[in-house]
Amino acid sequence: MGREEDIRQAILDYGSKGAKSKFYFKDMLAGVKKVIPDAGASEVKNVASKMVAEGVMEYFSTGSSTMYGVKGRGISVEKSGDSGG
Amino acid sequence: MGIPGQEKLWDKEEKGHRTYNDVRIFTDDQLNNYTEEELKNFKNKHDIPMLEELEKGPWPSFVSDLKREALHRRKLGKDNLMIEQDVAEDLLGLMELSYKEGETHWKHGGIVGVLGYGGGVIGRYCDQQQKFPAIAHFHTVRVAQPGGKFYTTDYLRTFCDIAEYRGSGITNLHGSTGDMVILGTFTDQLEPIFFDLTHDLGVDLGGSGSNLRTPSDCIGPARCEFACYDTLDMCYNLTMTYQDELHRPAFPYKFKFKFDGCPNGCVASIARSDMAFIGTWKDDIRINQDAVQEYVANKIPRDGGGMSGKDWGKFDIQAEVIDLCPTKCMNWDGKKLTINNAECNRCMHCINTMPEALRIGKDTGVSILLGAKAPILEGAQMSVLTIPFAYAKNPYDNIKNGVISKIFDWWIEEGKNRERLGELIQRMGLKTLIEVLGIPAMPQMVKEPRSNPYVFFKEEEVPGGWTRDINDYRSRHPR
Ligand code: SF4
Ligand code: SF4
Repeated sequence: MGREEDIRQAILDYGSKGAKSKFYFKDMLAGVKKVIPDAGASEVKNVASKMVAEGVMEYFSTGSSTMYGVKGRGISVEKSGDSGG
Repeated sequence: MGIPGQEKLWDKEEKGHRTYNDVRIFTDDQLNNYTEEELKNFKNKHDIPMLEELEKGPWPSFVSDLKREALHRRKLGKDNLMIEQDVAEDLLGLMELSYKEGETHWKHGGIVGVLGYGGGVIGRYCDQQQKFPAIAHFHTVRVAQPGGKFYTTDYLRTFCDIAEYRGSGITNLHGSTGDMVILGTFTDQLEPIFFDLTHDLGVDLGGSGSNLRTPSDCIGPARCEFACYDTLDMCYNLTMTYQDELHRPAFPYKFKFKFDGCPNGCVASIARSDMAFIGTWKDDIRINQDAVQEYVANKIPRDGGGMSGKDWGKFDIQAEVIDLCPTKCMNWDGKKLTINNAECNRCMHCINTMPEALRIGKDTGVSILLGAKAPILEGAQMSVLTIPFAYAKNPYDNIKNGVISKIFDWWIEEGKNRERLGELIQRMGLKTLIEVLGIPAMPQMVKEPRSNPYVFFKEEEVPGGWTRDINDYRSRHPR
């Protein structure tokens, strides 16, 4: 598999197998780095952004901060609660 | 992206400049569709006795404004609106309930947004959806404000039409980040709103969440002679450079740039942004001695006329300028005004008071301050002066490469989740910050001697390190 494919898979594994269905970018990056130690922040971000555009991943935002998640996993639109600004 | 055939709707080459009349949604009659008499007799669909108390005070009340909007929408009719017509009425009803119970009925957050964007839309839902169906969804859409907040009326009217047609009609100009905010819309209207904003107004969504927030700036050289650099250009340039950071979140938390053209700080960047750019100068304040004489002779009104309208007595240059200079670097001998510029801290007081006599220097640029924030995790914090002076000229590569990218890399690497830059600086110390930036410790970083001992020497920076020849030492310092 190519580099991008590897990162893609690592993101997906992290997002679908971890305890949390919504996670911060930093935690996802750490998850990817466990499999691909030299993965850089911007590299992972670019792949994750693509996956969002394709509808594989999604953003979850409270307004003050933003998390990532695998689309369809865990709480979604109608059930949520957090505060921020 | 866009609807096939309409991709170039905003393209000036194809369509020419478009005015409100080309894109307007409502007619004049629809916009002015109720009388003051009708407003007096208006009754909200939910009783709101507590809220109505708020209308009795001396100030304009948002309750009165919302009633106007409620009546306006009732008369527009649901066929002319894309979301429910009684949004304002349900909002008033829900607020009354919250006032009564002392509890909020808003749920916060969720997966809403426009495709590919990780910010700009903030999901809000009401937990009393049966009772208040028109505000079951009440999402916020942040719209990037133009530089210096300069609008044409065509622009504002188009914005208001979109907000009315596809949202609640309730807006907030401006949110605390600076954006224009459309308050209250449903999920199915988000993509259409985005399409209308980008195609009819040529404007983008602003930032929210763990993104770069919409950068904001003062009016700068467009209208203000104090501007030490082109705030409008720099704000726009950085906004375009950091589009990815604005729309696709990978920061630990929010990040704000703000641009003040001079130390008067009209956008308060020093207190409100993670990276504040404040205009400054290196050379001397320019003095026009003839104009100074005219101020002293009361021929030019002080403060640019800002103190007219009341008799403040004769202008007293000694009491009103010289004695108020914070660094005491000015002198007036009755004939000539002199300034010891090396001691001036560019507080702007003398220039504000006598703008025709005193002008900012000619060798201008910015001071860069880092780490201000409002209280969320830790308390509120002012920014730290980090780069006393940098030139600020398009394309700003010295600042982008020398400061911004280093800060972004460091913060993404070291920052904890939901930790602002200011908190990271506090946790790691100013010494680490200046190492990251590769700059020397400078006296300007220290507020006053012995009060903020941030900077410690490292062993390799000290000649001979931590070890010394004790015999050599004792030869000079006997026990
Ligand atoms: S910050 Fe300074 S330059 Fe900008 S508008 Fe205010 S006074 Fe003018
Ligand atoms: S700008 Fe402020 S510090 Fe500088 S000379 Fe004027 S009053 Fe003094």
